[in-house]
Amino acid sequence: MNKTRQLSFRLVRGTVAILIALLVAMVLVFISVEGDSIADKFSATAGALRNLLIAPLFDEGAGFNLKRLTDILAAMIPTIFTGLSVCVMFSANEFNLGGEGSAMLGAFSAAMGAIYIPFAGLASFSVGLATGLHILLCLLIAAVSCALMMLIPAVLKAKLQVSEMVCSLMLNYVVMYVIKYLMNTHLADKSKGLIQSFAFQPTAQIPQLVDNGSKLSWGFVIALGFVGITALFMYRSRWGYAIRMLGFNKDFVKYAGIRSGSMIVLSQLVGGLLAGLGGGIIMLGRYTTFSWGALPGYGWTGITIAILAGNNPIFVPFAAFFMAYLNKGCDLMATYAGVPSQLIDILQALIFLFFAAEQFLSRYRQKLVVRSAQKGLSAGGGKEARADA
Amino acid sequence: MAENTYAVQMLGITKIYPNGIAANQDVDFCVREGEIHALMGENGAGKTTLMKMLFGLEEPSSGEIYIHGEYVQLTSPAVAIAHGIGMVHQHFMLVPSLTVAENMVLGMAPKKAGLFIDRERAIALTKQYAERFNLHVDPEAKVADIPVGMKQKVEILKALVRGAKILILDEPTAVLTTQETAELFKEFLRLKEQGFTLIFISHKLNEIMQITDRLSILRGGRFMGAHDTGAVSKEEISRLMVGRDVVLSVEKQPAQPTAPVLRVRDLEYTNAWGKKMLDKVSFTVRRGEILGIAGVEGNGQKELVDMLFNLSRPSAGTIEVNGENILGLSQRKIRDKRVSLVPEDRMLYGIAGEASIEENLIADRAHTKALNAGPFFRMRKIHALADALVRQYTVLCSSARQKVSMLSGGNIQKVVVAREFSNDPVLIIAQQPTRGIDVGATQFIRSKLVELSREGVAVLLVSADLNEVMELSDSLLVMYGGRIAAYFEDTAGLTDEQMGQYMLGLQTQSQQEIGRVCHE
Repeated sequence: MNKTRQLSFRLVRGTVAILIALLVAMVLVFISVEGDSIADKFSATAGALRNLLIAPLFDEGAGFNLKRLTDILAAMIPTIFTGLSVCVMFSANEFNLGGEGSAMLGAFSAAMGAIYIPFAGLASFSVGLATGLHILLCLLIAAVSCALMMLIPAVLKAKLQVSEMVCSLMLNYVVMYVIKYLMNTHLADKSKGLIQSFAFQPTAQIPQLVDNGSKLSWGFVIALGFVGITALFMYRSRWGYAIRMLGFNKDFVKYAGIRSGSMIVLSQLVGGLLAGLGGGIIMLGRYTTFSWGALPGYGWTGITIAILAGNNPIFVPFAAFFMAYLNKGCDLMATYAGVPSQLIDILQALIFLFFAAEQFLSRYRQKLVVRSAQKGLSAGGGKEARADA
Repeated sequence: MAENTYAVQMLGITKIYPNGIAANQDVDFCVREGEIHALMGENGAGKTTLMKMLFGLEEPSSGEIYIHGEYVQLTSPAVAIAHGIGMVHQHFMLVPSLTVAENMVLGMAPKKAGLFIDRERAIALTKQYAERFNLHVDPEAKVADIPVGMKQKVEILKALVRGAKILILDEPTAVLTTQETAELFKEFLRLKEQGFTLIFISHKLNEIMQITDRLSILRGGRFMGAHDTGAVSKEEISRLMVGRDVVLSVEKQPAQPTAPVLRVRDLEYTNAWGKKMLDKVSFTVRRGEILGIAGVEGNGQKELVDMLFNLSRPSAGTIEVNGENILGLSQRKIRDKRVSLVPEDRMLYGIAGEASIEENLIADRAHTKALNAGPFFRMRKIHALADALVRQYTVLCSSARQKVSMLSGGNIQKVVVAREFSNDPVLIIAQQPTRGIDVGATQFIRSKLVELSREGVAVLLVSADLNEVMELSDSLLVMYGGRIAAYFEDTAGLTDEQMGQYMLGLQTQSQQEIGRVCHE
C-alpha cells in the first residue's frame, strides 16, 4: 500500500468510528429523552442532537456565539497538554496512564507555589517582573514534580519490567489521596466551609486573553507553543527519534545500539512533565484557590486525544478541539434537552474503542494490501516480493 | 493413484500478510493417506505459514483446501480439529502450571456434576491414550517439571485425544537431544502403522531421509515440487531448498589478511533447555579477510552471533575486538568499537518497518555529533546522508522519506546493509545477508562485502547458503553440533561433497587442523 492509500484508509476509518459513535449516541438519546409519542421522541432527539452538534458554536437564529467558542478553547488548555503527554509516552509503546495523577499533582504543586512562595517584595518593585517569575517558578515546580512522579513507573519498567500501565494507573490514586490528605489536614483554609486552600497570590495568576468569563487565559498560547515544542522534540531531536523507534520496534532499537532503557524512562519523564504543566497552567489560569477533591479527568481525555491524533503532536490541538466541542455539546444537551451529561463518557469510550481496535475494518485494509501486493507481483516484482515471514 | 487417496490437498495457495509480504505464492501441497510427508525449506520459506493455514490459524488469501477429498474452509483451529487435523507447534502450547492430564483435556474436560473437572477421568483418559499409542507420560506430573521430550509427547497425545488423524509436526526435533529424537521417530513410525498421516516440517536432511515417505519443498514461498524420499539424493534436495542452481560469481582478489580483529576463545553456551549449543568455539578474523561460517542451521551459528553482539551471555570464553574485551558490553559500546551487524532476520531486528528509510539509515549514528546541532537534528545533513546512501546502495524507492515496510525484501536488506556498511566499520558480522532476496540485490550485497574486506575490514560471514559462503569466503569454518567441525584455509578446490561430509557431521577434522583458525 502506498502512502496516500494508507492515509485515506485512516481517514475513512476515523470518520466511520466517529459516525458509529454518534449513531449509538443518537439511540441512547432517543431512549433517554422525554416524550409521549414516538413522534415527540423523534423531535426531542433532533433537538438534543442540534444541541450536541451545532449549539456549541451557533445559537438558534442568532448565529455565531463567541462566548461558547472561548469556553471550548479554554477547556482545551489542559487536554492539549495531557494529549501531548500521552503522544510522547504512547509513541514509545509505553502505555503509561498516569496523566490523570500528573495533572492533579501539577495543579497542586503549582497552587502551593502560588500560595507559599513569597513574591510580594518583588511585586512592590515591579508587578510585571514578579508575575512573570512567579508563574514561571510555579510551573517549573509543577513540571518537575510530575516528572519525578513518573520516574516511579518508568524506572520500575526499565529495571524490573513492571507493567507501567498497572503501576501508573495505581499511582494516580496514591497521588490523589496524598493530596487530599495534605489538603484536609494541613493546608486547608479553615475559615472556609469547603476544603480549599488559601488564595493564590495575584502574582501567580495567569492573565486572561479575553474578559468574558470564559477563563481563556494566556495558558492557551503556552499550550499551542508546547504543541510546537513537542513536535520538534519528537521529530527533530535524537531523543524523540529514539523514542519513536523504540515504539516501532524495540529489538531494532537494541540491535542499533540505542539505549532502550533510557528511552523508556525519558519518554515517561517528558510525559509527566507535560501533563504536570497542563495541570499547573489550568490551575493558575482558571482558579484562585486549590479545591480539587478528585482526579480531574484530563488524563483520560488526553488518551482519547492522542489516539485521535495518531500520536502526532501536530494533530493534538484539533483532536482536543473536537473533544472539547463534543463535551460542550453534551453539556448543552444536558441543560436544554434533559439528556444525562454522562453521555460524553459513552461517546468518548465508543470513539476510543473503534480507534484503538486494531482489527477494525482490517478486512477492508487487507483487501487493499492484497490488491497492491498482487499488482506488484504481476508487475514483474515477483522475485523481490518473497517470503520474509 | 486415485485422487481420493490424498489426506490433504492444498491447491493454488497464496498468502499475503497484512504487511504486504507474500509468504506463500501459488503453492500446491498434497499429502497421501497414511504417509509421513516432509515439508522442507529454509527458514522463511513459508513452511510454517502453509501449515498455519492447514490448522486454521491463518486464512489463505486465495486457493483451496481439501481434506480427504472434501472441500473445506478452515476458519479456526476448532474447525481444523473437527476435520481431524492436529498440530504440534514448534514452541509448546502447554500450560506449565497444570498437570499433564489437565493439559490433555483442556477445553474438553470431563465434568463431575456438570460443573467440576473430573480429575480421575482425565487421568484415566490420559493413561488410556498413552498406553494405546505407546507414548509414556506421567499424567499427574506438572508440565513445568517434565523434560522436553515428554512435553512433546504430551503435545502429540493432546492432538490424538482430539481425534486428529492428520498430524502436523512443526520442527519437532529442534529442541530434542539425539536420543529423544530417535525415540520420537520410533513413535512416528508406530503412528504411521496405525494409519495416521504425518506432516513433518524440518530442514534437517538426515532426519527427513530417515523417516519420511515423500517430501515437498518450498523455497521463498513457492512450491518446488514433491518427491518420493527414496528417489532423490540429499544433494538434489539441498539444491531445491537453497537454490544452488543460480550460481552468482563475485570477482575477488586474493585476500591479504593482516592484524587480527576479532578474537574468540573457548566460547561455550548452554541454552534454557540445558542443551549445549556452543562447545569450545575458538577462532580469529583478521583485517582484510572474509571468514565464512557454514553449517546446517541450528548448529550453533545463531547462538555464536548472539554472543558476539551481547544478545545473550556465554557460560564461558572470551571475545575481543582489536585486543579489547567486548564481552558484556552494551550494543552501543560494541558499535562504538566499530563493529557492525547485519542481523539474520531483517524484519525483526534490522529495521523498524513503520519508520522511514532515512530514519532506519541513521539508527546507529543518530546520537553522533555529526548529525546533531545542540538539541536538534541537522536535518539537512541527515537528508543528504540518506539520499547519498540510497543512491550508493541503489535502494529502489520513491524517496528516502518513504516507509521501509513498503519496500521489497531485497531493498529492505539494502537499507540494512547501507547502514551497517557505511559507518566505517572494522568488523562486519553478516548473518544470512542475502536470505530470501532477489538476485540483483544478492549480487550487489555480496560484491559490497568483498569490496569492504579488500579495503581492510574484517568480515565474519555466517550463512546457511552454501553457495554464498563458498563463493565469498577467503577461509571457511564449518559448524556442526555447536563445535567447529572443520577449517579450510583456502576455499579454492573445495567441493560440495567435502563440505557436506562436515556439515552433516559425518567427518570432523583434528583439533590441530581446526586450531589453525586461531592464527597464533
